[in-house]
Amino acid sequence: MNVRENWRIVLLVVFVVGSGIALFAPVTGGADDGGLTNLQYGIQLDGGTSLQAPAVGITAEGVNVSADDQNALAQDVSDALSLDPIDVRVSAASETVEVFTRNVTQDQLRSALLEVGYQPDTVRDGVTAATRQQMVQVIRDKISQSALSGGSVSTIQSIEGPTFISITAPDRDQEELQALLDERGVVRVYAVHPDANGSWTYDQVLGQDDFQRISTAQQNSDGNSVVPVTVRDSVAERFQQDMVEYGFGQERECRVSRTDVTNVSDIDDYCLVATLNDNIVFAGGVQRNLASSFASGSFANDPGYQMITGNMSEANELEISLRAGRLPAPLDFENARSQSLEPSMGEQFRTDSLITGILAVFAVSGMIYFRYRDARVALPMIVTAMSEVFILLGFVALVQYPLNLSHIAGFIAVIGTGADDLIIIADEILQREEITTDRVFQNRFRKAFWVIGAAAATTIIAMAPLTVLSLGDLSGFAIITIVGVLIGVLVTRPAYGDLLRRLVLDA
Amino acid sequence: MVMVEFEVPEVDYTKYSNRQLAIVPLTVLALALAVLIGSWALTGTPAALGIDFTGGSEMTVQTDMAAADIPGAFSTDPVSVQGTDRQNQYVVTFDSSNIDSLREQASDAGMSVLGSGSTPPSFGADSMRIAVIGIVIAFLGMSILAFALFRTFVPSVAIIISAFSDLMIPLAVLSLLGVKLSLGTVAGLLMLIGYSVDSDILLNNHILRRRGEFYESTYAAMQTGVTMTLTSIVAMAVMAIMATFFNIQIMAQIGLVLVLGLSVDLMNTYMLNLSLLRWYRFHGVNR
Repeated sequence: MNVRENWRIVLLVVFVVGSGIALFAPVTGGADDGGLTNLQYGIQLDGGTSLQAPAVGITAEGVNVSADDQNALAQDVSDALSLDPIDVRVSAASETVEVFTRNVTQDQLRSALLEVGYQPDTVRDGVTAATRQQMVQVIRDKISQSALSGGSVSTIQSIEGPTFISITAPDRDQEELQALLDERGVVRVYAVHPDANGSWTYDQVLGQDDFQRISTAQQNSDGNSVVPVTVRDSVAERFQQDMVEYGFGQERECRVSRTDVTNVSDIDDYCLVATLNDNIVFAGGVQRNLASSFASGSFANDPGYQMITGNMSEANELEISLRAGRLPAPLDFENARSQSLEPSMGEQFRTDSLITGILAVFAVSGMIYFRYRDARVALPMIVTAMSEVFILLGFVALVQYPLNLSHIAGFIAVIGTGADDLIIIADEILQREEITTDRVFQNRFRKAFWVIGAAAATTIIAMAPLTVLSLGDLSGFAIITIVGVLIGVLVTRPAYGDLLRRLVLDA
Repeated sequence: MVMVEFEVPEVDYTKYSNRQLAIVPLTVLALALAVLIGSWALTGTPAALGIDFTGGSEMTVQTDMAAADIPGAFSTDPVSVQGTDRQNQYVVTFDSSNIDSLREQASDAGMSVLGSGSTPPSFGADSMRIAVIGIVIAFLGMSILAFALFRTFVPSVAIIISAFSDLMIPLAVLSLLGVKLSLGTVAGLLMLIGYSVDSDILLNNHILRRRGEFYESTYAAMQTGVTMTLTSIVAMAVMAIMATFFNIQIMAQIGLVLVLGLSVDLMNTYMLNLSLLRWYRFHGVNR
């Protein structure tokens, strides 16, 4: 066989082999769940839960607050609206004040701000992009820590309504996912100090509920990236005494990097150590002014301090850790779109949709055979149509796209369009008088291709809006159809033309 | 064994005038529009909307209970209880989107919840808006492409009217049958925009871009076009029937829309589009 003349067939074979590798080759560390293929299944075919929910909250924008006044304003707002301080967030950088509760109206937030001398530009429902981003990060951590594979978290913008947070958790049902989202870790703060014998020991000085507020990670006036925290009044006195007792009444430098130690007991210096689920998330000393406020007893009057980190991203991470898996804003489950499927149902759908797909292939093949009644024309047509589906499957396995029911519909649509185009090619080439020369063939093939190209273009244009509009999981249906059409036009249908030419010119 | 014969019939178009040819699809289109507008006036929407757009919940449960006893287990009355192809398995639909409480009630009544989905009304309304925008953009895109491909007014408009009719008639049929529109319907309609113009492009291409006598080109295009549309209809009918049997709703909905749309497309392409093309070829060009 002449490769130069039959390069289209060669290309098809290359693609089919490549897809075979993508589909069946064992992958290391990938999503190989012990199945026959490397295909990833979405929740509709594998079970699991997906959830799209907005965040609960109201945001005041254009609040001209300085970095130094952030905490005071947050305190004022939480007092005025009688909210838990953790449900108020003030950001000087974005000039916003957010409250994360259903119980406050826009007007109430506005008047609370006006009362303390701030004039917000607008007050709206919803939370800021920064808060949403943090929610995504917190949820992603939760999902990835526990999920088998394939979980994802992202945001979806609706046209007029709120921005939704979209969560896909493949291996849990609705109740399990909500429990996971509500799950809290355990935060503790220890003081490491020498005991009576002079060897290093540690004592817990603060627990989970001893923090009144964990503020947004920020840059302080010294240019350090910090997370300011406030201790509850009820424990401030005791905390202050403990600190003095353990030797933090004077400046202490903690010469331990938290990356070098995994356990609090390993630390051998004066350090304040914060842990989340017993993992160290912060270790630091005590600066002079904080130390003297412990010593003089003035700390309890304004019980806040800052945890200083190396850079802003570390500070962000620390803030999330200190919140211990608590979402910055709660998810609004009442206005959530959800879908949940037991694995047994997923398996049932997988079998059923496979049967449907196979029957559709048989039906199309039968139609083609009855139409042409010539195995030389029909057989390559059926083989080409099948290879198109096979290549598309290979593509899906390669990009690890989780398959759902609508995608199977996309596959069947591709079988349909594929057959259509092969019929156009066959009819064009086999029409009327015999093909005598290669030139006649090329000419007819080009004519057929104009129609196929035009038809493909209309399908792609019609499906294109779905790829970007967030309409259920229909974007997957659109993507599968478009990729399928492209594979067809660029690879498989030209190859069919070549196959047909060999058959026709040989005869 | 019965041998299936598959021959595309050759219609003698010379027997019919353009007006006679066009009047049939145009009448059907007018009826379809009347149905849609009438439904709009009576119910507020051209066709019944499913929970994807109105909001609501749907739950698949496994239970030994009789279907008639299932509604009693819930504090809110289900809109429908439907059996599936599996024994003791039912799909229960609700207006309420409070899925947490519904799942709890089902479990309390001893049903095992195999799957559930819910859409809040606000989300549904937003989906409706997105769906309409999507269909309009797709249709406009297809129309622009039709003009770009043929660069003449009448043949391009013929494709666009045909495609419009291909969308409206299935919608009217769904409306009459009381089938509720869903995301699957939208996917089907968009697919239809891309799919149904294929036979129109084929016909226009054969008649306008090739040498050869009008009827000869028409028959050649029909030979190919009818075969491919029938093949697509068969593929989609298999999908619609099997998915309905297996209770895979999204595939059933896409399949149904395409079967209806492609069947209508046979009429629109070979009566409406053809008559416009013949008029253009024999009268329009000379003007």
